[in-house]
Amino acid sequence: MSKKRLIIIPAFNEAGNIVRTVEDIRENAPSFDYVIINDCSGDDTMRICEKKGYNCINLPIRSGIGAAVQAGYLYAKRYGYDCAIQVDGDGQHDAAFLEEMADELDKGKVQMVIGSRFIENQGFLSSGFRRLGIRWFTLWIFLLTGARITDPTSGMRMVGRDVINFFAEEYPKDYPEPETAVTLLQLGYSIGEIPVRMKHRQSGESSISPTRAVYYMVKVTIACLMARLGYERFFGLTSSGS
Amino acid sequence: MSPRLQIIIAIVTAAAFFYIGDKVRTRVIELKYALVWFLLALVLFIMDLAPTLLERAADLLGVTLPINMLTLLGFGFVLIILYSFTIVLTNENRRTKRLTQEIALLNKRIGQLENALEEAGIEVEKPVSETADPRPGHKIKV
Repeated sequence: MSKKRLIIIPAFNEAGNIVRTVEDIRENAPSFDYVIINDCSGDDTMRICEKKGYNCINLPIRSGIGAAVQAGYLYAKRYGYDCAIQVDGDGQHDAAFLEEMADELDKGKVQMVIGSRFIENQGFLSSGFRRLGIRWFTLWIFLLTGARITDPTSGMRMVGRDVINFFAEEYPKDYPEPETAVTLLQLGYSIGEIPVRMKHRQSGESSISPTRAVYYMVKVTIACLMARLGYERFFGLTSSGS
Repeated sequence: MSPRLQIIIAIVTAAAFFYIGDKVRTRVIELKYALVWFLLALVLFIMDLAPTLLERAADLLGVTLPINMLTLLGFGFVLIILYSFTIVLTNENRRTKRLTQEIALLNKRIGQLENALEEAGIEVEKPVSETADPRPGHKIKV
């Protein structure tokens, strides 16, 4: 029996990239279903998706990347998917690596597979300052959990059913990647990485402008610490979502 | 503390008490969130009209001027109020987020339903405009 696999594509003002992203998925990862979560884009994203007949969910209020991705996990949970992966709508992520990531997840050794740019260091590797930030989070997560994650900010993360159920209930509103990695490790899950190449975004702007970088660093650093301290305990949540 | 200041503070706190009371009566403010405001006005009112109580409290904490004790009390209360509202805000955020997601998923299902009905030859009346507004209520210009 083949597994139901879902690609979650968060999209905010990605009119210039969304077609290429979806076509890339159809071509290179045909065994996957996909769902676009349009976070109230002000551009033509919604109209393009409608015209092309893409599977698209439109958030009625702008809610942030975390809330958009979580809507995807909620969708995955409701429709009984065995595995879900986030692929950003800006076309940075290469669908050619998805099968390989799914194979790694199917081995059952890890519950989250991250597509990492920094194992083989090929493709688009982000600018100097950002790489410094990424390195800091690698070090910070190592100090907090003892786990080595070379690309903790990678949006390309594949998870199985348990984690889908958990994420559907508990997911940060913004900048979720490093924080949720710590949360999962804290809950006793393991995380693996697969080398991937990423592309330069084709058009539009990144969600993290230079002015927000400082806020990002501070917020995510504290968020990781909080996740390590196990704050989710206070919400009465456990890992056993299934 | 001069009698004049005492009278001013008494009048202001009493007025605030009844003003908020009236807002609760007319359902502008939820009683649950008004309680801490009532407490603030009440404590300031009592301390203001009971100088010995205020002076003893000031002495106890090493505050030289009784009026500063009053300010400190008021400030402390305001911090508590802000803290409670931060919690309320966080909860509201979580709820709004989930509602937004649920509505989006429901919209999707409705769309599928409409399409299926149309394919079956059943006429469905659709809303004229479906474009969502990222900041509801802000678009309206008079």
